[in-house]
Amino acid sequence: MAPHAPGVAPTKGGGPPPPRGRGRTRPHHLSVPWWFVLPALAFFAFVVLVPALRGAMYSFTDWDGLAREYSFVGFDQYRALLADKGARGALLHTLVIAFAVTLVQNLVGLLLALGVNTAIKSRNVLRVLFFAPAVITPVVTAYLWKYLYSPQGALNSALDVLGLGAWAQDWLGDSGIALWSVVAVIVWQFSGYSMVIFLAGLQSIPREIYEASDMDGAGPVRRFWHIVRPMLAPAFTINLMLSLIGGLKLFDQVWVMTQGGPGGATDTLSTVIYREAFQFNAFAYSTAMAVVLTLFVIVSSGAQYGYLARQERKNA
Amino acid sequence: MSKKLLAPLACAALALTACSAQGDEAGGGLTVTANSTDRVPMDAVVAAFREQHPDIGVTVTYADTDQLQSTLRTQLSSGTAPDVFTVWPGNGNPAALELLAPSGYLADLGDAEFAGRIPEGDRPVTEYEDTTYIVPVTYSGIGVIYDKAALTGLGAEEPTTWSELIDLCGAAAEEDMSLLALGNQTPWVTQLITYALAGTTVYADTPDFDERMAAGETSFADSGWKTAMEKYLEMEEEGCFNDNPLGTGYEASISNVVQGRSVGLVQVATTLSQVQSEAGDAELGMFALPATDDPEQTLMPGSVSAAYGVNSEASDPQAAMTFVEFLGSAEGQDIYATEGGTLTALPDDAREIDPALTTLTDYQSQGRTVPFMDQRWPNARVQQTHFNVIQQLFAGDITVEEALAEMDDAYLSE
Repeated sequence: MAPHAPGVAPTKGGGPPPPRGRGRTRPHHLSVPWWFVLPALAFFAFVVLVPALRGAMYSFTDWDGLAREYSFVGFDQYRALLADKGARGALLHTLVIAFAVTLVQNLVGLLLALGVNTAIKSRNVLRVLFFAPAVITPVVTAYLWKYLYSPQGALNSALDVLGLGAWAQDWLGDSGIALWSVVAVIVWQFSGYSMVIFLAGLQSIPREIYEASDMDGAGPVRRFWHIVRPMLAPAFTINLMLSLIGGLKLFDQVWVMTQGGPGGATDTLSTVIYREAFQFNAFAYSTAMAVVLTLFVIVSSGAQYGYLARQERKNA
Repeated sequence: MSKKLLAPLACAALALTACSAQGDEAGGGLTVTANSTDRVPMDAVVAAFREQHPDIGVTVTYADTDQLQSTLRTQLSSGTAPDVFTVWPGNGNPAALELLAPSGYLADLGDAEFAGRIPEGDRPVTEYEDTTYIVPVTYSGIGVIYDKAALTGLGAEEPTTWSELIDLCGAAAEEDMSLLALGNQTPWVTQLITYALAGTTVYADTPDFDERMAAGETSFADSGWKTAMEKYLEMEEEGCFNDNPLGTGYEASISNVVQGRSVGLVQVATTLSQVQSEAGDAELGMFALPATDDPEQTLMPGSVSAAYGVNSEASDPQAAMTFVEFLGSAEGQDIYATEGGTLTALPDDAREIDPALTTLTDYQSQGRTVPFMDQRWPNARVQQTHFNVIQQLFAGDITVEEALAEMDDAYLSE
């Protein structure tokens, strides 16, 4: 067992923070009364849980969102979902986006964090610049990139100027690369966000550990692998969880840039849910899809969290 | 989510995203929702209405098409819908007449004065079971909106046959421009050329095509729709369009015309005012897109565009009826069409018409128009499938036969 919780640095004053984890119990007189959580829990139940469960109920009906009457149809909507070719395609796109975004965004974020965690003079400016896209509303970012990606847009013009005109593409109009163009925008926007979390983790690693590793002759790669990586485990957990969930429920950027096109090449589960509910009046069916997406997010993020938490404990 | 919870959320969403509201009796009077694109004409109509009826306050909320269609259903089912709201003629989308009327959400307007003046050809999309439920306000058509100077620069005139059209595509390409700007990245734009071609390839020989489709006697695959889609692709092969139409959006397609990269574009007539506002002094014209080598066969899609319905549970039914009566009056129609740069839905021979729209009015008066195709389709899925398959055809992912099979499946779906 580690002397302190993984990833939490000892305080400068000397003593480690209060230990936590299995086998450790907080002194009784310091425990927080459980009913403190009741107001927040009641509010959460009122605005999230109850509406969500009431909404899920409609997935077992044939309600079109308009009719005054509806009847219960059991699992019919879910059976229809299994046979829906478009939904299967959207699920595949959703998985590709979630996987690619999770992988690339965190890789880029980690490299940026390592880069700006050095002694270079411009590190503070760079931190702000890299983080800036994350504070822009995704819809605004998507409109901006839709313009940049257009065939006569800035991206192709820049490639032309650089003598790379042959690389110019129909970034959002080519069904073969449109999905990756969307992924690139998300990575561009949120890598800085991942960077900040990694950076916080990096800055919590005591300098003494680096100095000790230097004295032991560890190079940058060994130092990263054996010291930085394990101590960044909590940051990895948070970043991977957030990016996976964000990727699975992606809607705004896709809707603004392509509306799922061309020809469904960038459709995600969220865009299909929206279209089924608000364009086709298949309210009950879209609710069934939303329930499946919710379960999918819960299961996949839960599994991911379980795995990463085990890794954290192992590294601690 | 329960209906009671949905209602305030939907209202809040609409209120937050609406551009603005007009009216001086906040919290009372008549409530109206209209499309953001109709802000100018609707504001003008309301101002004129208020002069005549100072006792009736009117508050108008504007939202774009997606928001109108997605929030109206929730508002109606929860009893929080406005008194008067945009209703799309015919069928084909969530806020269309044939979806709302059967549920009893629309008031019967059959006794209104304007109901008797609706042209016969527009009744199929303004009536449900022989009862009028909407007041049609504007009339629009689909054709080629073009810059006259650019066409003259090619030494050409408006093409009246398919062969002339294809030749003109070549002539434009030689001048390093495209005859037509095409923004197929925007889904609704994808449908316009098929509609413009199908007007002739489908309805010239089969005027009762919609009735035969409804009766299950024909299909998209066994009709002139196949010819229309093949010709659409032929136009692409002949270089009629700008490069990368799938990566070009609606706004970019208009820019192409304004900046001289394209001679014109196939669009709804209501787009004319927007192109004109960006093109400055350029003189614009409009012609029907030919699909055969017989000019006499050419038909033009033309139909009621903007329309309004009255909530069957309006807070003040009398005031709501007075307002839609004004919208249907000669004065209301004239103000709306003049401010919006369009045609009135109810014919008025005394009106002066934008010269660029004379082709459309000529086709209308000669009975050579056909309703917008989606207004006669039984559900919104067909139109969305149409968008999708056109993009897939341009991407080379499917064949015309596969595209039409998908549309047939969508037509038969519930």
